[in-house]
Amino acid sequence: MWCIAPEWPEHGRHVAVEFVHPVIMGKRALPSLSIEGVNAVARLRASVRPGDIVLAVASASEATVLDAMQRTPAWGATSIWIGHGARPAARSADHLLWSAEASELGRHDGSMVFAYHVLWELVHVCFEHPGLLDDAVACDDGEGACITCSDEARLAEVVSIVAPSLASVRTARGVEEIDTTLVDPVDPGDLVLIHGGVAITHVEAAS
Amino acid sequence: MTSGERTDFLYPFIERDERDADALLVDLARSAAAKHAESSALRSATLSNQAEAVALVADAMAKRFRAGGSLFTFGNGGSATDAASVAALFATPPHGRPVPSRNLAEDPAILTALGNDVGFDLVFSRQLIAHAGRDDIALGISTSGGSRNVLTAMHEARGRGMLTIGLAGYGGGELARSLDVDHCLVVEAESVHRIQETQDALACAVWEAVQHRLEVADG
Repeated sequence: MWCIAPEWPEHGRHVAVEFVHPVIMGKRALPSLSIEGVNAVARLRASVRPGDIVLAVASASEATVLDAMQRTPAWGATSIWIGHGARPAARSADHLLWSAEASELGRHDGSMVFAYHVLWELVHVCFEHPGLLDDAVACDDGEGACITCSDEARLAEVVSIVAPSLASVRTARGVEEIDTTLVDPVDPGDLVLIHGGVAITHVEAAS
Repeated sequence: MTSGERTDFLYPFIERDERDADALLVDLARSAAAKHAESSALRSATLSNQAEAVALVADAMAKRFRAGGSLFTFGNGGSATDAASVAALFATPPHGRPVPSRNLAEDPAILTALGNDVGFDLVFSRQLIAHAGRDDIALGISTSGGSRNVLTAMHEARGRGMLTIGLAGYGGGELARSLDVDHCLVVEAESVHRIQETQDALACAVWEAVQHRLEVADG
């Protein structure tokens, strides 16, 4: 799990230490790291692998977090966004853990800390109930189809331009080559929707 | 297959399937709500039973800030990040007067140099020797009240004439009993998580009270 909290670095670090070195003896250490600095998205891009989690603790308008959250589907990662005050758009992340209180002290008063403390506690409860961890549960989104197995357009991040109108892109399934005729020109880092090996539209930046 | 026939020895995974995920998720949600109620109740109870202590701490801190003093915060693990939160609140407040404040558990070069060369018990006290004097404030955070490097730093701070404040849980431990500590704000709870959340709320209360005193002084 990768933690980012550009405005509030202490929270990214607190989440990381919580999972790596649990306060309750005997609970397993889970891989979790805080990513900081001006180039957080580039560092995430280099490190995140399919199946990972990107967890942000940030306000709804934080540009780096908006950018990172938007890219996580192309990296095959699950996104979790913890914050308080004004909410981000509903689909900004896979999971929003939001405190409605708009207190100016929300960063400091323990409410963010509470959110990730409970998250940690529930993760360990889930480990004790393996029935919760079955893929069937993860896929049952109430709408019948699992997003990763359906035939919808998928998000892709351009890695490089291979030839005219041919780009190498990163998706949740790995690296693929796609036809970019419909959306040219594209640059590395661009987000596009792909369907049947073809990029069908650019995705506008969330940040 | 007829009903009533035992299948679990043939299909050991069935029991797994029969763990009703929906019911478990309902339980988890209920448990999260209960934790929230518990955390909120502990925060308000602590803010109310520590109100006098918070006022005394704020008086003493405001005095030092008015004399030009700085706040130094420190702690380990989650308390190191809480120390960062407190230092940020005083130095870059959402409103009011910023005052000099820094977290001694922040810089990996300093922490590893000191930890490696002189031992981890001295990582905070050694920094106080370099930075701090009699107008300054030491705020040590320890959920157990027993962190050796926090206690050692309190001793150093006392020797330098600093104001010394502890934030502790579990009845306060050694930090609450230490003669090196002028004021110790204690969260009476047994869960490290609930203690940390409440310590943050206490620190916010202290900050608000200090701000109030500085504003009054500023006129």
